[in-house]
Amino acid sequence: MKHRELKDGILRAYLDGELGAEQASSVEQHLEVCSVCREQAGVLAAKAACAHEALDGLPQSSQADGAANGWAAFLKKREDTIEDDWIRWTPWKVLSLAGGGAAITALIVVLTVAPVRGWAESLLAVFRVQHFTVLELNPSDLKAGLQNDQFVNQEIGRVLSDEVVETQQPQKLQPVADAAAATRLAGFPVRLLAGETPDSLLLETGAAMQMKLNRGRLQSILDEAGRSDLQLPASVDGATLGVRIPAGILAFYGNCGNAPARLLGGASAQSAQPDDTCVTLKELPSPIVSAPQAIDPGQIAQIALQFLGMSANDAANFTQTVDWTSTLVLPVVRGKSSYEQVYVNGNEGALIRPVSALQSKHFTLMWVDNGIVYGLDGTGDDVTAVNLGSQVE
Amino acid sequence: MNMTGGWTEPEFEAIFREYYPRMAAVTRRVLRCDSEAEEVCAEVFLRLYRSGPGVAAGGLVGGWLYRTATRASIDAIRANRRRGLEEPFEDVNFVPGEDRGDGPLSRLLRGERIARVRAVLARLKTEKAQILLLRYSGLSYREIAEAMQIRANSVGAMLARAEAEFSMRYERQEGRGRKTPQLRPAKEGQ
Repeated sequence: MKHRELKDGILRAYLDGELGAEQASSVEQHLEVCSVCREQAGVLAAKAACAHEALDGLPQSSQADGAANGWAAFLKKREDTIEDDWIRWTPWKVLSLAGGGAAITALIVVLTVAPVRGWAESLLAVFRVQHFTVLELNPSDLKAGLQNDQFVNQEIGRVLSDEVVETQQPQKLQPVADAAAATRLAGFPVRLLAGETPDSLLLETGAAMQMKLNRGRLQSILDEAGRSDLQLPASVDGATLGVRIPAGILAFYGNCGNAPARLLGGASAQSAQPDDTCVTLKELPSPIVSAPQAIDPGQIAQIALQFLGMSANDAANFTQTVDWTSTLVLPVVRGKSSYEQVYVNGNEGALIRPVSALQSKHFTLMWVDNGIVYGLDGTGDDVTAVNLGSQVE
Repeated sequence: MNMTGGWTEPEFEAIFREYYPRMAAVTRRVLRCDSEAEEVCAEVFLRLYRSGPGVAAGGLVGGWLYRTATRASIDAIRANRRRGLEEPFEDVNFVPGEDRGDGPLSRLLRGERIARVRAVLARLKTEKAQILLLRYSGLSYREIAEAMQIRANSVGAMLARAEAEFSMRYERQEGRGRKTPQLRPAKEGQ
């Protein structure tokens, strides 16, 4: 081996015994005759020894049966998440189809939908979902730290749980006999897939909550996420947001495994799984968010978008293109989900799919019709999705 | 819709049991306690579960897991530091093979050393911290290459650079650490 060919990488691999026999022998022969490389090998070995000693001193797990405990922790987490994602149809989840952490999305949803019109007393602005628009985010723009930072997520969760007061607590889900009963109980005209009888029809009662914004705590989240450059406006401090989620309906068609039973609290997460025939339809009148008019939604939206990783310019430009009076922004991460604008019974909708080859047949279709938000999950191509949506009547 | 995202339960559990012990070992090195490591591992496996087998195309599920777990752990120590949650007094009971009969001073010094190592790891670029954690958790160059999505013959160079920066920063920290609690020794002849 020639002197100039013996780079640090090869020397380092040689020290670790990670070279093939022939290359190792070649390095060995060179080291016998080259004092410069011998010296360099010594330097690399000393640095490796320092790192080795330091990292070797780090603690190791003390759990004798770590895998069993870990598996139990995983199952618990999975169950909670499935419940979050699937079972509990909270407005946060409904409105965060493709977004990042639920808590972040909740915050963004609250802060990015704009006031529509003055409240009766002109004191409050009201947010209602009348349209969707999809914001495609470039994953390289998303801050890795933000995506992975469970502590920031947890802190947001803590802020939400500390500051949110439930003024109307949701009740346990309950089975409903048919559309007529669902309409009566939910208080809005429930529409189901024409010609199909759902295998399960469940009612989720409404909920209402208030959240008093604490600028200091919210700003500390931005600071902890490394985004001290984003400064929340003073108008946020002390403002009370009101959220009202009307009662909603979930209809299950096809083989949805034990999902409906789990919703009702009657089955474990590990038994029957749904298959491709499973279709779920969710519907509820638009949740309503109210906030003091002093809050400038465009300004908050820009901060939220920058928090998601957009540049200040892009965030400002996007903010201007959105009709903030009634539009819900669904963030979609490029490369993770694809989306398409579609029309369902003449209403604009968003058709979102995971990009992953194994899940790309799964779709989520969302649209708003006459003040009611619909979400349809199923498996099939775009035409199937839109046709299914059009059958809701 | 397939709720499992393509995994069958036995298939996923087999993967979990195969990789969990090593992942727990890697994450526990940087995180403050078993439960924190367990939480990070559960989170990483949940991501794998939700992503489906496609995420590990080509049978590189281990690589994906190690990459994601080390990144999540490094993010976690950085977050701990931002929140002022580093613990200088590591509980030595978590360290098998150590002499537990040592006194409070040894424990204190060991705890400080652990905190210094973590502090240095937190300051390194993520890829450098990752490669050190993976290597000194016993992964081969081939496994590291899979985990970090680099060519196997680049591992040596990357590892050398990471070790160089680590040892430089660590020795600087050690120097600071030693100076604080100790009296300055008398110069020769004094």
